[in-house]
Amino acid sequence: MRVSYENKLGSIIFLMVSCLLIVFPLVYEDRNLLIIFTQIFIFAIFAMSYDILLGFTGIISFGHAMFFGIGAYSMSIFMKRFEPEMLYVFLALIVGVFLSAIVSYVVGLLTLRLKTHYYAMLTLALANLFYVGAEKWRSLTEGADGFTFRIPDFLRERVNFYLITLVLMVLVYFALKLFIQSPFGKVLVAIKENEQRTESLGFNILYYKIIASIIAGILASIAGALYAISLRFVNTSVFSIDITLDALLMTIIGGVGTIIGAVIGSGVIEFSHYWLTSLVKLHWIFERWIIFFGILYILTVMFFPKGIVGALTALKRKARHEKKHDQSDKMTG
Amino acid sequence: MELFFSLLINGLATGMLIFLLAVGLTLIFGLMSVLNFAHGGLFAWGAYGGVWIYSLTESYMIGVAGAIITGVILGFITEKLIIKPVYGDHVQQILITLGYMLVLGELIKVVFGPNQIAVSPPELLRGSIEIGELLIIKYRAFIIITGIFIFLIVNYILKNTKIGLIVRAGVIDKEMIQALGVNINKVFLYVFMTGAALAALSGMLLAPYAGVIHADMGMEYAILAFVVVVIGGMGNVTGSLLAAALVGISGAFMAYYVPELSLATNMLLMVIVLVFRPKGLFTIRG
Amino acid sequence: MMSTLLKLQQVETYIEEFHILQGISFEARKGEVTVLLGRNGAGKTTTLRTIMGLNKASKGQIFFGNEEIQTLQPYEIANKGMGYVPEDQGIFGELTVEENIKVAMKKDDSQSLERLEWILQIFPDLKKFWQKQSGLLSGGQKQMLSIARAYVKNCELLLIDEPSKGLAPIVVEKVMESIQEMKDKTTIILVEQNFMMASRIGDYFYIVDEGRTVYDGKMQELIGNKELREKHLGIA
Repeated sequence: MRVSYENKLGSIIFLMVSCLLIVFPLVYEDRNLLIIFTQIFIFAIFAMSYDILLGFTGIISFGHAMFFGIGAYSMSIFMKRFEPEMLYVFLALIVGVFLSAIVSYVVGLLTLRLKTHYYAMLTLALANLFYVGAEKWRSLTEGADGFTFRIPDFLRERVNFYLITLVLMVLVYFALKLFIQSPFGKVLVAIKENEQRTESLGFNILYYKIIASIIAGILASIAGALYAISLRFVNTSVFSIDITLDALLMTIIGGVGTIIGAVIGSGVIEFSHYWLTSLVKLHWIFERWIIFFGILYILTVMFFPKGIVGALTALKRKARHEKKHDQSDKMTG
Repeated sequence: MELFFSLLINGLATGMLIFLLAVGLTLIFGLMSVLNFAHGGLFAWGAYGGVWIYSLTESYMIGVAGAIITGVILGFITEKLIIKPVYGDHVQQILITLGYMLVLGELIKVVFGPNQIAVSPPELLRGSIEIGELLIIKYRAFIIITGIFIFLIVNYILKNTKIGLIVRAGVIDKEMIQALGVNINKVFLYVFMTGAALAALSGMLLAPYAGVIHADMGMEYAILAFVVVVIGGMGNVTGSLLAAALVGISGAFMAYYVPELSLATNMLLMVIVLVFRPKGLFTIRG
Repeated sequence: MMSTLLKLQQVETYIEEFHILQGISFEARKGEVTVLLGRNGAGKTTTLRTIMGLNKASKGQIFFGNEEIQTLQPYEIANKGMGYVPEDQGIFGELTVEENIKVAMKKDDSQSLERLEWILQIFPDLKKFWQKQSGLLSGGQKQMLSIARAYVKNCELLLIDEPSKGLAPIVVEKVMESIQEMKDKTTIILVEQNFMMASRIGDYFYIVDEGRTVYDGKMQELIGNKELREKHLGIA
């Protein structure tokens, strides 16, 4: 009961903040902030897609950058080879989604039977394969140097792109919420909690895991495509382990298995990134800002496995508990 | 023929570097089911620590010793601070070691700066030796000899000492070995430190071979070491040696003849082994 | 009355979220064979594992001699003089018989060697296959190896979990005979489904049901009381 209440509260706050964010560019003009927010929205989509795997199905993938990269390269190559028109943006999105779905299906079929360790290891290796592949296939990707491209005028308008990514993030958020509460989503959670028991109840674990990873892959691909548009540039770094690490940091620090945690994590990390790198003038160590998050991440995994969201709900529960106690004290006293 | 031998030696040298990384990984996993995703970070730290001492003392051998000491110290800290608090929880372990890998890499950039550092072999190991028609690059031969030497030592310890016996038994059944009065955590700490030292040694050996070192050098080799550990069978040191030679040599030949596919073949090998023989290619156990 | 070597007081154990032991209390007296009886899934194996520290007791106390041991690590408990023969025998299959024994022996002192010599007399097969890979032994030989291994390190109390499981009747006979012989040298707690066997070598019994010790008495009493057997064990 309480969980669903907190769930709803999270969604309501999320919706309210999102509404505020829609009017934000109208009242406050700051190009930098607009760009940061756009990044937050994009990575929120990416992190939410990762939460489906880690937080709801209990799959630890170290290769999520694969799908992000596929989306980013699909978009970039379309924009470069064809005209920078909206039609091609849509086409590129579809192609990226399609490729990601196929890759996640094949990879899932091969690897999702494996134990956690092996799966994590293999996905790490496969993502690395894509990374090296992108480096070697220079005729298409121009390797680590990458290439720039033009995008449709409509998307060049920062406010437009800001709004598009914001709306997409909100849509993905609610779609995933619905998905998780559906019978299908409940099976995923059951798998996370006890795989063997779920299997013995007659569910085909592999099927559910594959569908979950296809959905995660598709969303990651969309995030990758948006990311490429936002930079108007792509290089092999979209396939790098750093991208997967971003998803990990965001979901874990924000709070695994909550969806909203991924959004919060994205906000925290992107804002801190911006803020900490601006401190480089004070001390060079801030150029290595990610180290703080690496340490924070390790501490979170050790001591707050539920991240910021988990810590907040625990605090609130405690407060409510105390309140109740006070009341009952009063009644008896 | 000349080309064949040259590729063979090239591949063997790479294979030995991977093997040194894999020894630690495979024993750590075998003993505690901990898959250390930060092993590549220890490798990179070994290279930086060793190269730093090498450049200070201008003695390569002291540099190598420095790398090993770096590995031992870092292994101790890592086990106590990172691995031990999450014993028994696989999900936490996997997540934590990857995050730790990130921290180790960033720490290198903080301590030694973000740029590549050039390294060259010591005077004695520069150039090549001629055996008949064959031209063998000295440093590669040095790596191969070191690798085999380390294998022999590790193998001797495993087969002929009490601690080796305990490690072998622990790999098979870590619960039973505790019920027989062995403090497995202490044994594991030693194994982890040894593994870290060998990873560091591997990094140091690679440094003059590759010519430069950089903070992210660990990842590629760590992935190859994963491949080797899987093919060789978790906990199987001899299997790792064979697999490392296989991966190194096939990598060298593929890189020469079909460079586009060189990494893909190794990966494919791992996928096939994992899907069809998850206990490795060289295990007899059913 | 002989002195108590091991004593459990209201021990409770969880495995994951399952409340397996809900109140186990019993004593094992020095020099006796104490048998834990009960249906499958009653919690007998978990009781042994909890004594050994392999599962942690969440409540209650376990005394070994005068010492509380429920918070100790398995290796510490083992080193206090407890030997464990698990249900699956826990043989290191890739090691030889010799290595299996050597890994358990703290040192090659005269006492341990004496014990080794004695146990090899009881299990001559082990001597015969001294250098053989233990995974290739027969089921009965593995059981003997497991018992011998637990015994050679200074072992005051031996916990043996279902030694008859999966063995041919004639082999069971042999294993039980050797346990009988070991009675003079060490105290034994035996978990056994095979009532015939248990009744022959047991001195005292406890019945475990749904994680609780529900009945206890002298073995003689149970042998003579058909009603009791039917009620608690479902056997006549």
